[in-house]
Amino acid sequence: MIQHIENPVVEVHDLMVSYGQNPVLWNVDLSLPAGSLVGILGPNGAGKSTLIKAIMGLVEANSGYSKLFDQELNQVRNKVSYVPQRESVDWDFPASALDIVMMGTYHHLGLLKRPGKKEKELAMDCLDKVNMKNFAGRQISELSGGQQQRVFIARALAQQAELYFMDEPFAGVDMSTEKALIELFREMTAEGKTVIVVHHDIYSAGKYFDWLIMLNMHLVASGPTAEVLTEELLTKTYGGKLSTLADLGEIIKKSGFNPLKD
Amino acid sequence: MSFDQNAFIIILTGSMIAISCGLLGAFLMLRKMAMTGDAISHAVLPGIVIAFLISGSRHGLTMVIGAGLVGLIATACIEYLTQKVKLQSDASIGITFTSLFAIGIILITFLANQIDLDQDCVLYGEIAYVPIDLWITKAGTIMGPRTTYLAVINLVLAIAFVSLFYKELKLSTFDPEFAATIGLSTAGVNYGLMGMVSYTTVSSFEAVGAILVVALLVVPPATAFLWTKNLKKLLTVTAILGVLISFLGYYLAYLLNSSIAGAMASVAGVFFFVSVTLNRHQIPRIKSKMRRLREEMA
Ligand SMILES: Nc1ncnc2c1ncn2[C@@H]1O[C@H](COP(=O)(O)OP(=O)(O)O)[C@@H](O)[C@H]1O
Ligand SMILES: [Mg+2]
Repeated sequence: MIQHIENPVVEVHDLMVSYGQNPVLWNVDLSLPAGSLVGILGPNGAGKSTLIKAIMGLVEANSGYSKLFDQELNQVRNKVSYVPQRESVDWDFPASALDIVMMGTYHHLGLLKRPGKKEKELAMDCLDKVNMKNFAGRQISELSGGQQQRVFIARALAQQAELYFMDEPFAGVDMSTEKALIELFREMTAEGKTVIVVHHDIYSAGKYFDWLIMLNMHLVASGPTAEVLTEELLTKTYGGKLSTLADLGEIIKKSGFNPLKD
Repeated sequence: MSFDQNAFIIILTGSMIAISCGLLGAFLMLRKMAMTGDAISHAVLPGIVIAFLISGSRHGLTMVIGAGLVGLIATACIEYLTQKVKLQSDASIGITFTSLFAIGIILITFLANQIDLDQDCVLYGEIAYVPIDLWITKAGTIMGPRTTYLAVINLVLAIAFVSLFYKELKLSTFDPEFAATIGLSTAGVNYGLMGMVSYTTVSSFEAVGAILVVALLVVPPATAFLWTKNLKKLLTVTAILGVLISFLGYYLAYLLNSSIAGAMASVAGVFFFVSVTLNRHQIPRIKSKMRRLREEMA
């Protein structure tokens, strides 16, 4: 079930990505509506991160292309924000939470210019939005996983973008914070921004998202949550008889035999 | 124990070299590329030899450019082996630097009769000769110790590089993927840093040698990292350590009648191990005491 729409904010066309000899994404073809909260679902190794990285130009696509705001990425970098998985950086880096959030203001500054008072105020506001203002001066190595995650989200907010890609922003975050973050994303989409989130829990996915993408090396579904959150599509995503792309045993092992378990 | 003009010149030159190396080395360390610095400092050897053959002089721009180029080639080679050939990064570094270093050694050995380039000098340097190696203009005016001038230029360029591109270095070191998504050329920053490391190595090899330059690239930032988790303070502590290392290294060498560069490296090592030992219990305690004091004052 892949639903295409008119005037999409994100358009991915026949995308294929592989690492060396191993294909990871096949023929991904989707379009997403502006102003929506989008969830990306799929088991570990399904290529969720790879899809986002390919859209953000961090991994090279073998074929296909993607467009944001109907333009090339390079034309719209100022309007797009990316939150990597928390484990992708070394949190022993000598910096405070505020230092990291300030990094979100860099692209508006351009080369050689230094962040000033205005940038600092913006960064503090963003820390406040994720309830981390009291930790502004804390060394990032001394933050908990969930707090580090919130620092990353605050950095994204400081980019003041229109379109957000977040790779597992709820990993290591407690339930009440997760709810508060969803609330925040809802406010953002109400303002017309688009927030795309890699998510793990299919039970809450139904409540959180307007639109769902289900991925397992190929695109299983992309459409309004109410229409695509079906047992059939979930089974197709997390287990069951997948196409011949990969070793079936591998897939079963990855999905842990339980189609509803990640 | 003496403090004369020569001692001053040597300590000053050593300090400036140590600060230049430390500032750049701090970023290498944070990028987990300390060994790349090591690799580059060895790999520039053939560049030094070839440039020497072309220009016939150990001094001058040819040398800096020749070695700088080889440094960039080494960087490109390491990048290629890791990114395209998918070799592990430590293997790529090992292959690159041993190959280039070997070429350099072979060149020196083969051409030993033709050129006045002493292997020991290239490898270990001799900072003790700095005061007598004078820069004399064509008109015959004595301008002062040549290596000291080189160290001043090096220091100015290193500080300019780090402060002008501070934000870019910081971001691309902490989170290169994020940096790339905002359109920052992370490869550009990487080559810039490696270019500066190559240049610094060449500029200082006569004083401290191609090998001991590594000690100054790696050890002061690693020591400073045990004391602070703030990038600006890390750079400051690194610089201060550079001066202390040069000062104490000079007098240690004086006492032991040994090589100054070697003594400097030993002092650096002692600082590091003292910090490691202290770090177990004392540093957190000292730091929390200082924090409490600050909070009380605020
Ligand atoms: N840099 C890489 N090099 C090689 N294989 C990779 C790399 N990154 C991811 N992969 C592989 O690609 C597949 C998809 O990975 P990823 O996109 O991270 O999945 P997900 O985010 O859905 O868990 C996995 O099998 C993973 O092992
Ligand atoms: Mg992932």
